[in-house]
Amino acid sequence: MARPHIEPFVDRDVPFKKMTLPGFAKGMQYKMLSLDTDTGAASMTVMFENGFSQPPGMSYTDMEMFIMSGYLESDEKRYTPGTYFWVPPGVSLPALRAPRGCVALMFYNYAEPSFVESDEDHQLAEREHLTIVNAYENMAWTGTNIFPATATGCLVKILRFDQRTQAFTFLYCMTPNFSQDNISYHDCAEEAYHIWGTSWMMQFGNLPTGGYFYRPPYINHGAFACKLGTLALGRTDSQLYNHFHFNPWSTPEENRERAANRILSWKPELYRWIEQHGHNHPHVPHDFEYPNEGDPHAIAHASGVPHDHGDGHDHHHHEEKPKRRKKKVSRKK
Amino acid sequence: MVKVIEHKLSREVKAWLKREAAEQKARYKLIVEEQDALSPKRDKWVAEFLERIQTRGFNVHADMRRKIPASEIPKKPRRKFKVVF
Ligand SMILES: [Fe+2]
Repeated sequence: MARPHIEPFVDRDVPFKKMTLPGFAKGMQYKMLSLDTDTGAASMTVMFENGFSQPPGMSYTDMEMFIMSGYLESDEKRYTPGTYFWVPPGVSLPALRAPRGCVALMFYNYAEPSFVESDEDHQLAEREHLTIVNAYENMAWTGTNIFPATATGCLVKILRFDQRTQAFTFLYCMTPNFSQDNISYHDCAEEAYHIWGTSWMMQFGNLPTGGYFYRPPYINHGAFACKLGTLALGRTDSQLYNHFHFNPWSTPEENRERAANRILSWKPELYRWIEQHGHNHPHVPHDFEYPNEGDPHAIAHASGVPHDHGDGHDHHHHEEKPKRRKKKVSRKK
Repeated sequence: MVKVIEHKLSREVKAWLKREAAEQKARYKLIVEEQDALSPKRDKWVAEFLERIQTRGFNVHADMRRKIPASEIPKKPRRKFKVVF
């Protein structure tokens, strides 16, 4: 089922549960926000109890964390509300403590939550991508800079931008009296959590503080309104484009087909090229910027790109993973 | 970039995942029911939206608005109006 469409959900409606997965230190509680039932990828509200302490350690998939209240501290630093971590798989974080408790959002992106005690990086860790910023202290609000754009009064701080997939994580706010009269959908999945405030969408009604959604691609949302202001954390899994329209009843299939049709208008050359090369071309196009990504045919399989092998049989399966060319990775720390 | 470092799932992890997946499916069902129950309100919101885009306008880009003529307003199809997928 992958990640189901969870919208809306309010974490205030459910109690915290003890984290019992092996590896995690005692004194960690969580509320599951959404879960990929195939891979175990998860988004959670997490509470570290007073006096919580964990040793240095890493996780098997990338982990994002946003501190909402209280603080975490290492021997060197205190991580206060607004601190955002993006920790690549295998990168070891120092020992962390929560002397007075701490509430955070945690996201494990491609596999189940994991914690492995280690004061060294895993050999596959890419530490250069580790990101730690404080969104409340030293970042300015900007407009969304996406065209077409949201209405005035929706502001963002970009916390992470993946230049390959254009996935991004961002803090956003809607100012009091925000309103936007259109219906939107995207080619990406979109996820958000209300740190504070209530806002309204025409499909789902009011989403209050503690409100959350995980929305797969091509699902209508909006019109939008917000009376008193909202502060929220948002994430996408690839490029976000605002496909605005005003048909409240269009389906995700119709929305996707419309999006594909629009590419023909926006990028006719590219559309024709892909169509022309799409048949009997059993691999994805090459990107010279990423020459070491592995076998393009295996990538086609792993990304679920349908193709045939010249024998006229359509070939479409998801199970195989791309074979990576062995890359020399030194043990860094 | 490596997305997942290969690792074995212990029995405990598998059991945890199974429990959480079951809860997730139950939550999804509940959301669908709650959203179905919201239908009468939603129909009213939709009617108001269709009215506003004809009078105040539809947000084409940022605060740029276009007043939608009545001839362009879509008609509600006969199929069930779903918002959760
Ligand atoms: Fe959106």
